[in-house]
Amino acid sequence: MNRLVRRPEFGAIAAFLFTYLFFALTTGNSGFVSINGTAGWLNLAAELGIIAVPVGMLMIAGEFDLSIGSTVGAASMVVAIGTNFLGVPIWPMIGLAILLGGAIGLVNGLIVVKTGLASFIVTLATNFIVIGATMGVSRLIANVTSSSIISDPLSKFLFAARLGQANISILWWVVVALIGAFVLARTSFGNWIYATGGNLTAARGAGVPVERVKIALFVSTGVAAALVGILQGVQWNSGNSTYGMGYVFQAPIVVVIGGVLLGGGYGSVLGIFVGTAIFGVISTGIFYTGWNTDWIQLFLGVLLGGAVLANNYVRRLALAAPQG
Amino acid sequence: MRNFFEVARRGVVRAVSVAALSVIAVSAAMVPVQAQDEGPILVVSGPLSWPFFAAVKQGFDDAAALYGVEYQYIAVTDTANMTSDYPRLLQQAISRDPSMLLVGEFFPDGMDPLIKEATAKGIPVIIHNSGQTLWEQNGSLGFIGEDPYQMGYKAGQIQAEGGVTKGLCFNQVPGNPTVEARCTGYIDAMKEAGVETVYQTIGTGEATNQQAMMQAIAGTLQANSDIDGIYTLNAEPAISALRAVADAGKAGEIMIGTADLSNEVLEAIKAGDIAFAMDQQPYLQGYLSIQSAVLYQRYGLHPIGAVTTGPLVIDNSNVDKTLEVNREFSGVRGAS
Repeated sequence: MNRLVRRPEFGAIAAFLFTYLFFALTTGNSGFVSINGTAGWLNLAAELGIIAVPVGMLMIAGEFDLSIGSTVGAASMVVAIGTNFLGVPIWPMIGLAILLGGAIGLVNGLIVVKTGLASFIVTLATNFIVIGATMGVSRLIANVTSSSIISDPLSKFLFAARLGQANISILWWVVVALIGAFVLARTSFGNWIYATGGNLTAARGAGVPVERVKIALFVSTGVAAALVGILQGVQWNSGNSTYGMGYVFQAPIVVVIGGVLLGGGYGSVLGIFVGTAIFGVISTGIFYTGWNTDWIQLFLGVLLGGAVLANNYVRRLALAAPQG
Repeated sequence: MRNFFEVARRGVVRAVSVAALSVIAVSAAMVPVQAQDEGPILVVSGPLSWPFFAAVKQGFDDAAALYGVEYQYIAVTDTANMTSDYPRLLQQAISRDPSMLLVGEFFPDGMDPLIKEATAKGIPVIIHNSGQTLWEQNGSLGFIGEDPYQMGYKAGQIQAEGGVTKGLCFNQVPGNPTVEARCTGYIDAMKEAGVETVYQTIGTGEATNQQAMMQAIAGTLQANSDIDGIYTLNAEPAISALRAVADAGKAGEIMIGTADLSNEVLEAIKAGDIAFAMDQQPYLQGYLSIQSAVLYQRYGLHPIGAVTTGPLVIDNSNVDKTLEVNREFSGVRGAS
C-alpha cells in the first residue's frame, strides 16, 4: 500500500476520481457518462495527450518546450499546402511534416544545449518564429493561412477513423503513452532522463550523455506535435497555422497535474496520462452541465488548481508515511 | 534555486539582446514605404492567421497594385492580448505621421480616443470592418464594413422564420465585442420572434481547436436537448457544429447557420447540411478602403456615410458561384 501511495501518479488518480465523480453527479442524465460522452472527452484529451507524454518526459529531464503549439499548425499547413496547392500526394507531405517537427525539435535542443539559455525562453521564441514562418510561407505559396487538405483512404483510416464516436486518436495516445512509459521505466535512457532532471552535474559526472538526452527529447516533442497536426488536419480536412496554440500551456499544465515536478527529476507517464484525462473531463464535462459558460475559464482554473493542490497534498502524505 | 534564477536571468539578458539586435536588423531591412510625398499609407487591421483577414488583405493588395500605391499592413501575430495590443499598434502607426490611416476599430475603448487624436492632428482616417457606430463621432471620413449586430439579427430572423424553437449562439472568441454583437443581434431577433436562445462560449485559446469546439457543442446539445437551431460566428466552429449535430443523431433536425465561409462550409450548404452562411465580403473592405484612400488623396473625394459590405446571405440558391470563385481565386472570398 505504501509503495502504491508513493507513486507519482497516485495524487493524479485521486484527483481524476474526484473530478469524474463531480461531473458524473452534476451533469445529471445528459449523457456525460454514456459511451458517447466518454468518447467525447477522450477524443479531446487524446490530441493533447499525444503531445503531453513527450513534453512531460522532457520536463522530467528539466526542460520546457513551448514551441509545440505552432509546430502543430505548421505540420497541418505543410500537408494542406502540399496536397491542395502543389498537387503532391498526402504521404510524402506527411513524411515532410514529421521531418519538420523533428527538425524544429532538433533546433530547439541544439540551441538549449549549446547556449545554456533557459528552454522556456528559447522555445517561446521558436513558437513565434514557427507560426510566423508558417503564415508567411503559406501566404507566399497559396495566399492563405488555412487551407483544405486532400487525403486518401489510408490516411483517412490511420488518422481519422472512428469506432462509434471514439476517434482513432485515442489509440495513438495509448500507443504513445505505452512507448513513453516503457522508455521511462524500463530502459537506461529512462534512467538518464531522471538523472538529467534530478541533478545535472551529478548526472554528467556519472557519465550520462545529458546533451544527447535533452536533444532526443526535444526531437520527440516536435515529432509528437507534428503527428497531432496531421491528425487534426486529416480529421477536419483542413490545415490552419493557428492549430495547437492552446496546447502551449495546456501541455505543461496537464503534465504538472499528472504529478511531474516543475523542477524535473520526478514524475511518471501514467501520471501524465491521467493528468490529461482530468483536463479532458473538466473541459468537456462543463458543457454537459448546462451551466452559464461565462464562468467557464474561472471554473476550469479553479478545478485545475484544485487538482494540483490535491495532488500535492496526497504526495506529501505519501512521502510522510512511515516506511515499511 | 538561486543558481537557477541566475542562469535564467543571464539567459533572459542574452535572449533580449539577441532579440533587440534582430529587431534592429529587421527594421533596417524594412524601409517604410512612401505614398505620394508625405507619409506612408498605414493599415491597422486584423490578424492574418484568420482566413477572413487574409481576404481583407488580399483586397488591400489588389487595389494598391491597381492604383500603383504602396501601403503597410499592421496586425498582431499573437491573438491572445488583442484588446491591449491593438491600441498600442494604432498608437505606433499614428506616431509615424501617415498620409492616410485605414483602421479596423475592433476594440473601441482603447482605439477610439486614439483615432480622435489622429483626426484632430489632421490625419485622414477611414474605418473598416468594425466601428460602424463610431466613425462619425471620431472624425473619420467614412466606414466600410458590416454591422455585426445587424448580421446576427438577420441570422436570427432567418432561423426564426425557418421554424427554430430554441437557438444556440456559439461564440468561440469570448471577449471580442464585435463578434459578441453578432450573438446579441441573433438573440434579440429570436426574442422578438418569441424564440428561446442559449448563449455558449468556450475557453479562450480554443478558437481553432475544432475538437474542443465540437465537444463543447456536443455537450451543450446534450444538456439542452430541445435546441434545434445553431448559429456560429466563423467557418471552423460551423464545421465543428455540423459534426456535433451528426454525433448527437440530429442531422437534419437542427438548422445550422454561420457567419463567414470556407470551402467546407460552402460544400455543406450545397449538400443541404448547413442552411446558410453570411458573407460580409472581406475582400471589399480592403479593396474599397484603398480605393477611397486614393480617391481622397488625389481628388478629395470620399463616399458620404457608411459603405455596407454585408451580410450577403449565401444559401443553396447562390452557393455554386461562390464555390467557383473560391476555387479559382484562392483567398478572395475568405477561407479556402
